[in-house]
Amino acid sequence: MNIKGTARLGAFSFVALLLLGSASGSAQDSVHPKIKASAIQILMVGSNEVDLPLPFQVALYENVIEQVQKTKKFEHVYRDGDRAAADAPGLVILRTNVFGFKRGSEEERQVTTVAGATQIKVHCQFTDKSGKSLLEQDVTGNVRFIGGNLRATYDFAKKVSQIVVKNFS
Amino acid sequence: MKMCRAVLILLAAGVALIAVGSLAPQSFAQNTDTILHAKQVLGLEGVKHNTTGTLTIDKGTLEFSKGDLKADVPAASITEVLMGADTQRTLGGTVGTLTMFAPYGSGRFLSLFRTKIDTLSITYVDASGGVHGAVFTMPHGKVVAAKTALLAQGAKTSVPMGPGTSSQPLPSSKPQERNP
Repeated sequence: MNIKGTARLGAFSFVALLLLGSASGSAQDSVHPKIKASAIQILMVGSNEVDLPLPFQVALYENVIEQVQKTKKFEHVYRDGDRAAADAPGLVILRTNVFGFKRGSEEERQVTTVAGATQIKVHCQFTDKSGKSLLEQDVTGNVRFIGGNLRATYDFAKKVSQIVVKNFS
Repeated sequence: MKMCRAVLILLAAGVALIAVGSLAPQSFAQNTDTILHAKQVLGLEGVKHNTTGTLTIDKGTLEFSKGDLKADVPAASITEVLMGADTQRTLGGTVGTLTMFAPYGSGRFLSLFRTKIDTLSITYVDASGGVHGAVFTMPHGKVVAAKTALLAQGAKTSVPMGPGTSSQPLPSSKPQERNP
């Protein structure tokens, strides 16, 4: 009887803790209001530390533009160098810097399943026009099981779009 | 006599000029390239990822077409052209992926059969200055001609073509041209 009671109390405490955790999480979310922006300019992916092959650089850039456009959070998504961005009101700029790159092998992935993963680690910084940082986050793009190496760039872009959805209104 | 010589020299010069004139279009024609079964991996506006079609480099334009679908990039707007080499599964697409689940490891065995391919990556600017990038793959051995044709028609690159240039990964002196 005592054991049953203790078990019930333990279970109740566990559920209560879970509820408390989720409540505090949502409270934290409400502390950070969403950033208001009507346009975004996405700069070409760069890297100070990693020698990134051009296909990966291009794929990261193009996939991010495509995925951010799909979020429909911004009226305009400008590319790097677009002169029209200079006059755009409410513009945020996304700068990305690759700081980790592990080239995997599609062949190894298919043959072994566990080896050959490709991984790209990117520091993402959203700034306003003056360069003031609004949001910074490290994002990792992976391809572990199925797909070519460039799929890691798609994975990264999807994660960036999730950040945009979560933090911009 | 002197008059005859002068006429002969003038005639020879005329013939030489005509010959040069007739050769000029031929040399331009050599700098065009058409690649069948090229795959646009990503980057061209209005073309879905991994679309297989025909890549034509002619009249100062890189054109990718598949049926009625066409996408053009002026060669003069291309700011970087780099080539590389890679491999792909011989049995590709959804069927190729599904073979992974074939019994007794036969799918794994099939994955070992791979075909060499070349990759061509470009960056270019649009009319308003926006930077674009595109990646293509093509049958092995085609990329050198494609890059040569693009450069001849006004594209720029940080890795110029030299004698004996190939699509194979290059030593560290030219780190950009290598496998994706």
